[in-house]
Amino acid sequence: MTLNMKRFIVAGLSFLFLAALLVVAYQESKQHRIEEGLEPVVTALNKGCVDCHATDTASLVMEWKRSEHGIYGVGCIDCHGAEEGEIDSWMHEGVRISVLVTPKDCAECHVREYEEFARSHHARAGEIIMSLDNVLALKAAGMPGNVADAVNGCWQCHGTIIKFLRDENGELLRSGKENRPMIDPDTWPNSGMGRFNPDGSRGSCHACHSRHSFSTEISRRPENCGKCHMGPDHPQIEIYNESKHGIAFYASTEHMALDTKGDWVLGRDYGAAPTCATCHISSYMTPQGVMVGNSHEVGERISWTLRPKVSNLINLVTYTDGFKEDYPESRDLPAIGDVVPTVEKAAENFELVTRTVDRTVASITTWQDRRLKMKGACLSCHNDHFVDNFYQQFDSLVTLYNEKFGIPAKEMMDELIADGIIKASAPFEKHVQWIYWELWHHEGRRARHGASMMGPDYTHWHGMYEVAKHYYDKFLPAVIEAAEETSPALGRKWQRKVTALLAQPEHVWVSGLSPEEAAAMANEYAQRYNQ
Amino acid sequence: MSASPNGGLGQRFAELFPFDWETIRHAGAEPVPFHLKKWWFCLGGTPMYLFIVQVATGIMLTFYYVPSPDHAYASVDAITTQIRFGWFIRSIHMWSSNFMIVAVILHMLRVFFTRAYRQPRQLNWMVGFMLLGLTMTFGFTGYSLVYEQLSYWGATVATNLANAVPVVGPLIAYFMRGGAEIGPQTLTRFYMLHIGVLPLLAFGLLSLHVLLIRMHGVTELQFEGEEPPEERRFFRFWPEHVTTELMIGVLLMYLLTILALIFPASLGAPADPTVTPAHIKPEWYFYWDFRLLQLTSLKVSVLLTGLLGGIAFFWPFIDGWLERRSKNVDLIVVVVGVVAFLGFLGLTIWEAVAY
Repeated sequence: MTLNMKRFIVAGLSFLFLAALLVVAYQESKQHRIEEGLEPVVTALNKGCVDCHATDTASLVMEWKRSEHGIYGVGCIDCHGAEEGEIDSWMHEGVRISVLVTPKDCAECHVREYEEFARSHHARAGEIIMSLDNVLALKAAGMPGNVADAVNGCWQCHGTIIKFLRDENGELLRSGKENRPMIDPDTWPNSGMGRFNPDGSRGSCHACHSRHSFSTEISRRPENCGKCHMGPDHPQIEIYNESKHGIAFYASTEHMALDTKGDWVLGRDYGAAPTCATCHISSYMTPQGVMVGNSHEVGERISWTLRPKVSNLINLVTYTDGFKEDYPESRDLPAIGDVVPTVEKAAENFELVTRTVDRTVASITTWQDRRLKMKGACLSCHNDHFVDNFYQQFDSLVTLYNEKFGIPAKEMMDELIADGIIKASAPFEKHVQWIYWELWHHEGRRARHGASMMGPDYTHWHGMYEVAKHYYDKFLPAVIEAAEETSPALGRKWQRKVTALLAQPEHVWVSGLSPEEAAAMANEYAQRYNQ
Repeated sequence: MSASPNGGLGQRFAELFPFDWETIRHAGAEPVPFHLKKWWFCLGGTPMYLFIVQVATGIMLTFYYVPSPDHAYASVDAITTQIRFGWFIRSIHMWSSNFMIVAVILHMLRVFFTRAYRQPRQLNWMVGFMLLGLTMTFGFTGYSLVYEQLSYWGATVATNLANAVPVVGPLIAYFMRGGAEIGPQTLTRFYMLHIGVLPLLAFGLLSLHVLLIRMHGVTELQFEGEEPPEERRFFRFWPEHVTTELMIGVLLMYLLTILALIFPASLGAPADPTVTPAHIKPEWYFYWDFRLLQLTSLKVSVLLTGLLGGIAFFWPFIDGWLERRSKNVDLIVVVVGVVAFLGFLGLTIWEAVAY
């Protein structure tokens, strides 16, 4: 063989060598990307799904590919796979699946999170179905045969009972060549926090961990909570955005380590600002080490309930089966080991039912204990004097609302019912009932929530100012108006009661300021504005 | 340079250091066959150049590397992320090590197919083959020093392989590990091998390799259409051939810098002896052997590796044996070479894609 021929052989083999090295480099780079979490792992079980859905629902697959689930090879069938007999399942391309992924499905891997969530305040959000809010959506805004306001409004946050369309014989209606069960469009799509699922579980993990990215980062961001915790009756996100905490968050988001894997610990992983998750559920550093948060129980650190007509300090009773119940401070606490009747709501045959269950008390967390847990997070940035004084400021605002407006207004409304002026069974019949509703449910909550989260404008102008204005200017006149509509005698009675009320020290200002106060105010405006 | 006859600094230096500089001048003037102007005959100098790069960058890395299991990973992390230009030096070291293995293989390909190993150069082929083994050992021990998950577990597999070598295997494995199992001693041993023993061996063998070339002279090859041996032209080692090699060196530095910039050395998860990774892979130049291991058994693969290595090591003598028995030995050598190299490439690719 000639040397020239050998030269070509050596050259050819060298090129093949280079090609082999490129194959090795490509494979190593691919594997490296998988290990670094830059490439998803598509297991044989899920390959068929991914191949089709990469074009059928391209964005969904894209999101999954960059998700933690994708990186660890947790794919479509792992979550959507179903057993025969599950009402929402059908055979799809040879595999039994369900479109609904419930917390019980997630519990296949996330057992602790499922158990925490199942007994949380969030999981009970669907019980709104029996509240005044729901009456307004179904009756005031809706009409017989059309519950669209509740469907598109309340239930999207609170959740509803997932139902299925049936024929006149009660048989499930199915659609398409695969006989997919038809979910009642009034009940799904729905990712409400307290959704009643057909498998008996409650809620939707997707409410906070948006599919299909399942990002912990999203769930740590305040905007995530803002989907539901906003608006005239519970404007937490607006208050947060107004607060120093919110300002610090948006100014220093890059220092928040929001993408931290695993525990996200205040004082260890970040310290720039707290988000909703920081204060209510996350772990934080203490001088003794990490105080591990109960990551799926949002109510644990709340010492006041700011939602009802009159606020209460709340103790927490936990039963041996994990069931939890808030006990207002005014309610006598049971002893540990006592068997007490508890009221729970559940979906039975696709309807919400209330039942009483005897349960054994396992532990009691007083409102002071709950507050201490919250203070632990505060103390990561503030000293104890600061934190204690803040709580005094907050407590005094709630007390002010309760004593000046909340309790008197409630007592008046109760007496109006006793006098037969308004009916408990007709909560929105009279003008006064609408005024009262907004007084506590909108304005009163705004004031209390504003104080709880350090939002000065929500505390005053959107809160206490509105409460005061409507109390004097709308509520009290509406009380007299309702009484007069019922009878002249009741009208006179309520006129006298309101006059007496306004004569109390906290209300006499309405009749006029003292000469000194009036002169000081006139002087102030003259000096500042020359008016 | 000889001592200056008129006294002065030159003469004083010659008195202090009575070295006959004529030796160097003579060595530098060594005539080099004209065919070494062809690119594929310059591959022998490339590993030498890369070895110098490795020594220089390696010394710089040892300034910061801490050879202890508790600090090794953190020190590599610091070199990569904190120390100024640390990432660059580490990346050049990493790429240069890979280039070195490629260059040695390409050099051996050329030597094999031109049968430049034949009498009287059999010994130099064997020295060269030892240098190949040494280069791969350099790569293996160096990678283990990073102390990331894959390098740690790669070392574990390698010591298990060594353990399976008949007779001396357990002793070698024990020596490598510094005990019955991989432990704190292993890293220290690998470190000492990497920066002490192996460089000394490499320096010795390289010197021997070059010395043998100089003693035998470069193989003179007859190309088709070229002038007959008696009319052959030569050119000087210095400065012509050295400048050619230096140009190749500059080109290599360009390539190494570009690769270091675009694909800098990365760092995986730190070594965790309690967690076995899902996929354990050695460096690419051991892929072929790793595939053999998975295709057969530990014992068989070790024996097969030893057999193949033995054949390659003693190939010049096998060639001589064949030459005495066949007229087509040139063709046989080419066929054996092509089959063997394609086998090596095939096993390498197979292992690469077999995730």
